[in-house]
Amino acid sequence: MKKLQKTFALTDKGARGMLIASVASFCVNIMYMLAMMAFFYFAQDILDDGHLGHLSVYLLASAVIVLLMYLALDWQYRSTYNATYMEARDLRLSIADTLKGLPLGYFAKHDLSDLAQTLMQDVLDMEHAFSHAIPQAIGAGVFLCMMMALILASNVWIGLAMLVPIALSLGIIFFSKRYQKACVRRFYDQSRDNIEIIQDAIEMQQEIHSYNLVEEKRSQVHRAIRTAEKMHMSAELGQGIPVTTALSLVKLAITTTILAISWLLLRGELSPLLGVGYLIAVSRMTDSVEAVGLNIAELFYIDVRVDRIKELKNTSIQKGKAVRLNTYDIEVEGLHFSYGENCVLHDVNFTAKQGEVTALVGPSGSGKTTMIRLLSRLYDYDQGSITIGGQLLKDISPDSLYGQISMVFQDVTLFNGTVMENIRIGRKDASDEEVREAARKAHCEEFILNLPEGYQSLIGENGSKLSGGERQRLSIARAFLKNAPILLLDEISASLDVENEKAIQESLNELVKNKTVVIISHRMKSIENVHKIVVFEEGRINAVGTHSELMASSDLYRRLVHKSALTAGYVY
Amino acid sequence: MGVYKKIKAYVPDMEGLLLLVLLLVIGSSAFLIAEYRRIYLFLEIILQAQGLEYLTLLIAMLALCALAYTITSFLATLVSHFIAFRLEANLKKAGMDALLEAPFSFFDKYPSGKIRKMLDDNTALTHTSVAHLLPDLAGVLFIPLFGLILAARVDWRLCIFMLVTIIVGALIGKEMMGESSFMAEYMQAQEEMGAHAVEYVRNMGVVKIFDANVKSLKNFYDSISNYSDKVLRYSLSCRVPYVSFQTFFNSIFLLLIPLGFYFIAKGEDPILYLSKAVFYVLFCGIIFMAFMKVMYFGMHSYLASSSIEKIESLIQEMQADKMQHGDLVCGENVDIDFDYVSFSYGNHQVFDDLSLHLEGTKTYALVGSSGGGKSTLAKLIAGFYLPQEGEIRIGGRALADYSEHALTNMIAMVFQNAQLFKTSIYENVRIGNPEASYEEVMEALHLARCEDILDKFPEREKTVIGAKGIHLSGGERQRIAIARAILKNAPIIVLDEASAAADPENEYEIQQAFSHLMQGKTVIMIAHRLSSIWQADEILVIEEGKIQERGSHQALMEKNGRYAYLQGLYAQANEWRIGA
Repeated sequence: MKKLQKTFALTDKGARGMLIASVASFCVNIMYMLAMMAFFYFAQDILDDGHLGHLSVYLLASAVIVLLMYLALDWQYRSTYNATYMEARDLRLSIADTLKGLPLGYFAKHDLSDLAQTLMQDVLDMEHAFSHAIPQAIGAGVFLCMMMALILASNVWIGLAMLVPIALSLGIIFFSKRYQKACVRRFYDQSRDNIEIIQDAIEMQQEIHSYNLVEEKRSQVHRAIRTAEKMHMSAELGQGIPVTTALSLVKLAITTTILAISWLLLRGELSPLLGVGYLIAVSRMTDSVEAVGLNIAELFYIDVRVDRIKELKNTSIQKGKAVRLNTYDIEVEGLHFSYGENCVLHDVNFTAKQGEVTALVGPSGSGKTTMIRLLSRLYDYDQGSITIGGQLLKDISPDSLYGQISMVFQDVTLFNGTVMENIRIGRKDASDEEVREAARKAHCEEFILNLPEGYQSLIGENGSKLSGGERQRLSIARAFLKNAPILLLDEISASLDVENEKAIQESLNELVKNKTVVIISHRMKSIENVHKIVVFEEGRINAVGTHSELMASSDLYRRLVHKSALTAGYVY
Repeated sequence: MGVYKKIKAYVPDMEGLLLLVLLLVIGSSAFLIAEYRRIYLFLEIILQAQGLEYLTLLIAMLALCALAYTITSFLATLVSHFIAFRLEANLKKAGMDALLEAPFSFFDKYPSGKIRKMLDDNTALTHTSVAHLLPDLAGVLFIPLFGLILAARVDWRLCIFMLVTIIVGALIGKEMMGESSFMAEYMQAQEEMGAHAVEYVRNMGVVKIFDANVKSLKNFYDSISNYSDKVLRYSLSCRVPYVSFQTFFNSIFLLLIPLGFYFIAKGEDPILYLSKAVFYVLFCGIIFMAFMKVMYFGMHSYLASSSIEKIESLIQEMQADKMQHGDLVCGENVDIDFDYVSFSYGNHQVFDDLSLHLEGTKTYALVGSSGGGKSTLAKLIAGFYLPQEGEIRIGGRALADYSEHALTNMIAMVFQNAQLFKTSIYENVRIGNPEASYEEVMEALHLARCEDILDKFPEREKTVIGAKGIHLSGGERQRIAIARAILKNAPIIVLDEASAAADPENEYEIQQAFSHLMQGKTVIMIAHRLSSIWQADEILVIEEGKIQERGSHQALMEKNGRYAYLQGLYAQANEWRIGA
């Protein structure tokens, strides 16, 4: 059972359910056979001496068999379908939780829609497989093996006549599986390229129109679609078609069995009664194989999906102990970090003291953003150490860490729900009044009350019904509500209108009070008064100090300040 | 069979193949039934032990029929896959063609990923459905039909018994399909769950930092539960019919026993009766499979037609609000006029009776709160949207009078998130003017301050965008896009200045590039840095769809109205210090 669970990436409950379903499915097959047996006795009556037995016995036996069959089928139904849908729900919830435990680096490496796909579509396909294919295949498989053994024991020739085509077809299916995998992979890669071409055509429609490239793009897209069609067809030739062919081979088992029966009959080695018996048996068995066969392609198909879910479950999630922090100084020592082979931070050292504002500045690509990601443990660092209140960051469990950290991102993400729900993400148990209080502090209340339903207004997908500034203000309200002792800020760079900007500035000054604050700043002027400025240059620390210290000591800092002033004073 | 009509419309060159599949399907069904006919004869011979000498011939025929069945059904599958893939490709092409021609307003409605997914998913659905739809026709229609004919030839009572089996089976089977509305409900629940999943993954940063688990994200949790509940409820409602159906088909032949007692008592030959009874038992499996296929058939034809419909309605949406084009090549000048223009996005009205005149070769800065209508105004000029009422003219002629080519050549736009094609930097710029010489392209790169970008890569202007290890920041992309616009040399420039500020470390270079782009042109600039626009010829303050103020910097400052207020606020914001 453990193996079953592992193979199909099931939850404990799911594995048990599937085992039960398989047993039920086996019982169903036994009942089918019992019905056949009753009929076989009737045939025996006729063929033995033409004298029929008691009708009442037959009627009684038939009634019992029908009843048992109904019960077995009912059991099978409940244990497969109902159990599966519950399983699928649990699986989805557990995958969603697993995702949350992964470092953000995992998400950077994977396509967003791929992951969502895993969460929903893959589970959906598996759900289908669990409810139909797997338990039926197992139940029928065990039953078929038993029948086969019995028939082989009673008559080797007949047994072989049935076995060979069935085995051949199963053989083809299993041998083509490896080839299928290669086909599917090839096709998958091609469709990935296609998706990119098509996605490009959509995203770049503005450029395409502005530069009269419609015709060119159209022929490119058509070419890609055409290639995909060919690839698809050849993948199908390698994948679906062997399965279909193999399945029609199963039907040949009836022919071969008839062949064997006739041969034995003509030699007088078999009675007509047994001939009929074997014939019924083989038709019963090919029906079962066909029923399983309808789903066998599906069984293979879910392989890839199961692998994806397994990969997800096997990616190590971020660990750590529950830790109580009393002080909130952040110390960074000898820190190294790379994205893959690309080394982004080398030997970074600095401290950010409790109750102070520490600013990170530097040219683009110098490592500031990566630094914030490491401080928040959205990514895990490679070498060196980060400590908070004397505790190693890696030893603090994400749960207890995130109890103490708030973060305001530059690119705000909101949920498609009400304003109230979106702010309350900051603290799940906050009362409505507390949410409103946070909104007031973040200068949000005014625009919220202007929405058609105030706090209960729906804000659309990723807050699409709000302006950029309003979305940003909501995300600050979240941080107010959470009121964590450590605050990480990625300064909102631009593209807000000036009224929003002013409102945000006022809330930020309120928000940073008495906290350990680390801020990435793009506007040199805004951080002139902070306690400490850390200057990054190509992943290393160039200098650390206050504004006046750095103006004296760091060429890079002076350059940044100068350029910032040039930008601010630019006139078209 | 509306589905077939729909399918045929998209694969007009494959009518012959469709016919071929039909023939193959009929052929394979006939071969299968011929095989069963031989099986019946075989039963008769062995049970009566008469005519054993024909046995060899009979079996040879039987084997041939079986083989012919296998081959024809294989071919039917093959050809129908071929058709299905062509259908998928053609649908996708139709969708993409419409998409490439779609007006910009269409892209506002859906995020790009969603458009692609709608196209991809629905076309993919048609192929799986159609690939199965055609061959399944055999099991659904022809095999039972031919089977009944065969049964009638063997014994009319057998034929009636089979008919009864089919009718009762169909009645129970109909129950088993559950409510017909379920499929649509199910798809909707599934879509909803998918949307929430995408959101969940996209917002992972927030989910982690604010420790929002699945249970606390009520909508997500509900959509998962709701989906499961729906399916479960459906499954429960099908339980009794399903179980009855299975029981019925796997035990119906037991009725032949009491019937046997009856007929044999009436003098029927027991052996002959047995042959027919056994034949029925064997054939019952085929009828059962046919029923199973009917169910898949129903599902597939629903999916096929609903996904074709979805794509068709998507295409229709793409074709709505499309701009008309005339054949005018150029106007007299590049003055821009709005005459009583009204425009709304859905229910949200942005402009009501807006009229204005912008003189050619001047620089205009648009200022005002976000949502006031600045970018909509700019996009209307660029022909992104059609106004619901009124007229927009350039050079005295309506936008619709110009040919599409003339219109695109007249206007260059630089908005946020400039996109580059995945070719070399050089080619990306040359797109601006395919006839430009090497020197002209390099000059444009120079004017857009792109030298330091070229210096970063050994391949310089031949560096391929998007290749491994080639990373460009937003501001660097922006500058290359500006070089492209410079090369295009369009008389009207529409730009969103905030696109410079999106990458602060590059902002100064972008500002300089913008200056070069704007030289000697009619410029409509959505202004962000209020300090940078005081030399603009005119400033338009746009609030709530109205032009609240209009004039030079100096005039507006003296007026001490909205513009002066915004300038004051801007100066304060610029002097802001954190923590102070």
